[in-house]
This record gives sequence, structure tokens and C-alpha cells, in this order.
Amino acid sequence: MAGMRQVVITIMEIKVITTDQHMALAEIRLMQLISPSLPVGGFTYSQGLERAVDLGWVRDAETLTAWLTEQVVTTLEWLDLPILLRLYHAASARDLTGVEYWSDYLIASRETSELRAEERNRGRALVMLLRSLKLTGLEAWHEVLSRCQLAGFAYAAQAWGIPVAGMLRGFAWSWIENQALAGVKIIPLGQTEGQRILHDLAPLIAQAAEQAQQVKDDEISASTPALAIASSQHQFQYTRLFRS
Amino acid sequence: MARRVQRGPLAVQRPFYPEKDVCHLYLLHPPGGVVGGDQLRIEVDAASGSAGLLTTPGATKFYRSNGRWAHQQQIIRVAAGASLEWLPQENIFFPGGYSRLTTEIHLAEDARFIGWEVQCLGRPANQERFEGGEVGFHLQLSRDGKPLLIERLSVGQGGSLDHVSGLRGCPVLATLVATGIDTEMLELLERRVKGIEGAEVGFTLLGDVLVCRYLGHSTEQARKLFVTVWGEVRPRSIGRPACPPRIWST
Repeated sequence: MAGMRQVVITIMEIKVITTDQHMALAEIRLMQLISPSLPVGGFTYSQGLERAVDLGWVRDAETLTAWLTEQVVTTLEWLDLPILLRLYHAASARDLTGVEYWSDYLIASRETSELRAEERNRGRALVMLLRSLKLTGLEAWHEVLSRCQLAGFAYAAQAWGIPVAGMLRGFAWSWIENQALAGVKIIPLGQTEGQRILHDLAPLIAQAAEQAQQVKDDEISASTPALAIASSQHQFQYTRLFRS
Repeated sequence: MARRVQRGPLAVQRPFYPEKDVCHLYLLHPPGGVVGGDQLRIEVDAASGSAGLLTTPGATKFYRSNGRWAHQQQIIRVAAGASLEWLPQENIFFPGGYSRLTTEIHLAEDARFIGWEVQCLGRPANQERFEGGEVGFHLQLSRDGKPLLIERLSVGQGGSLDHVSGLRGCPVLATLVATGIDTEMLELLERRVKGIEGAEVGFTLLGDVLVCRYLGHSTEQARKLFVTVWGEVRPRSIGRPACPPRIWST
């Protein structure tokens, strides 16, 4: 009897270790997915910020913080993150129609041609990368995942066992990190100033990722009129460092 | 115009045919305004092959309310081969009002459409800022059931009127959309419309849909801009030269 008990305990221990290892690996996969070194060109897009600086709308740490904060509480919380969540569930269920639906919905919610081109370009780059990382089952999904970067991001997250909450926070973090670094370069601000802004905005990101999970289907959408105008004008801006 | 159904105060006036085959219609709201609790629903069905232009003789006012919501819903369907122009005068949202304005535009594959909305928050002419109320705008444009443009903006909570990426404290936000536009036309508009004082304007091309946005302080300025843009894009979009409705000049 004593021997049997020991066997049971051993099996449970192995299982626990395995789950921990899975979680650890998923966490590291998430870090890779949101790393600024991921070759999807994140740092080449400013999403209207370059023009906003040119117009004097964003000119220092304070206005950059406001610009970013507003987008976290409007666009990220009510549009990007709720759609990312739906794409994740659709991809987990191998629901191609669902992924298509939410990808088209996201693109229709991007207010300018530059913002839409960015989705397409980064989407394509991400799918190519995922294929070279030998992520399985991608062949049938190649076209739909190329439409926007969120689709590929969600697909990879579910395939690598990254939990929903971590994925949402990770995506929001990588978005704001890219934007803050673009701001530091364009305004310009010191690197330390940029890090301070990111540090201060971290709680807001955690909150947005949490609240985005409560958003209902028919509430999903956003609009940032001044950003849309800045992004429209950016296409015609004489000197540009960034692609959006 | 084939049929006119009216319940409540909204009315459609007798149609004009200044272009022979385009039906010019004026939509009237005789009480002159919308109050808390009002539910207005405007449905426009442009039948296959038809050509219509809708406008309003005056601004629509959304009055101050004691917390009750007013909702105006505008649903526009344009069937195959039809063209429709939705060119109303501005909506004025009085401080202290709670209003929702929903605009849905459903286009068939080859339907043609030009539309604009001019929103005025508060009454800038009287230095009355929009405060103590809420306005929700929701715009959805789709073709063949597939979304082309989705926007939702809430004003009045959390100081959103002053958002640097939102309204920037500007009381007037206006949007024009037109189908059937190409890059050449986009560049022409971008060259022609330059430096509007005290306002910012953006043109962008989403597929074949031109979107022009105005953010500033004057409904008159926004309307003038849109009439100019409309004059440029109408031949391309609708296939006819501009023919301003008579009521615009009165």
C-alpha cells in the first residue's frame, strides 16, 4: 500500500512540473512576440504621431503622455484589445470565419489609409515570420492572418499557450512602447524621460487589459478625430521618418 | 420618390427635380429640435437604379435635457445601380443634452454614395461650450454587408472634449464620405484645399472611399469646405456635375 501511494505522489509532481514548464515557455514566447526586435517593423510606424508633433499638438513629455493615455482608454480598451480577444478565441476554435469577421471589423475601424496599410504590412511580416518559426497549421490561414497584425498575434498566442490576460497586457505594452519610443525620437525627448513615461503608464495598461475583457460585441469601436486628421495629413507630409 | 410614410413630427417635403432625373428631397423637422426622450428614425431606401439627393432646410437642434436621452437613427440603404447623396445641414448639440446619433449606410456592390455630417457641440457663436451632457456618435458604412468604415465617438465624459488626439477643444467636427474616388482625385483635393484658418482638414482614401474630416470652430466653414469638395467629387462619384439644392442659397 505504501508503495502505491508513493507512485501517485510522483505522478502528481511530474504533472505540476510539466505545467510550470509550459507556463514558463509560454511566458518566454510572449516576450519574443512583443519584443521590439521582432522583425515586423514596429519601430517604423508612428500612427500619426510624427504629424502631430509637426503640428505642435505633441511637443513634450506632458502632451505625449496625454496622447498615449487617451489612446489606451479609447482605442486600446474599446477596439484593439476586445478584437484581439475575439481573434484569440476564434483561432483557438479553428473558426476561420470568425477570424475573418473580426479582422475586417478592425480594418474598417482604422480611420486612415496609412493606418490600414500598417495593419496589412505588419500582418504579412508576422505571418511570414511565424511560418519560418515552424508554427503548424498555418497554410490554410495564411491569407486571413495577413490582413492585420492582430490576427497573427492572436494566432501565435493561442498556439503557444499564452494565457488571454497576458496576451492582452503584452500587446498593449508593445503598442505603447513603440509609440513612446517614436515620441522620444520625434519630439525629441531623453531616453530616461521616455522610460519614465512608460513606467507611469504601466498601471493604465493593466487596467485597460482588464476592462477590455468586459466590452460587449456591439460596443466595440472607437474614434480619435485629431489623430485621424494627423494621420491623413502625414501621407502628404514633406519630410517623413516614419511610415505612418 | 415612390412612397412617403410619416409618423410623428418628421416630414418629407414635396420633391424637386432640378436635374430632371435626380430627386431632390428636403427633410423637415417642424418642431425645430430634438428633446430628451425623443426617438427619431429616418430610413432611406434608394431603389435599384434610382438617383436621390437629401438635404435639410435648417440645422437640427438637440436641446438640453434633464438627463433623458434622445436618439436619432439614420439608416440609409442604396441598392444596385442607385446613387444617393445625404447632405443635411449641421446638428447642434446644446450644453446639458444627452443625445445619441447613429448613422448606418448600407451600399450594394455598385451603389454610389456621397454623404456628410456636420456636428456642432455647444453653441460656439454664443461662447457656450458643450458641458454637463453627453453625445454619442456612431457611424457605420458597409458595402455588400462588409464593413468599410466604423467609428464611435463619445463626448462629455472624462474631459473628452479636450483630448489632444480627439476633439482638441474644437466644437465642430465634420465628416464627408464619397465612393468611387481614386488617388488622382485625392491628390487634387489635397492640393486645392490648403490652410483653412483655425481648423484642420484631412483627406484619406480607404479603398475607393474618400473620407474628408474637418475639426474646427465654424459650421459655416465646414459646410463651405464640404460644398467645394462635393463640387469636385460629384462628377467622379455620382457621374453628374454639381447642382446645389435651391435651399442652400436661401
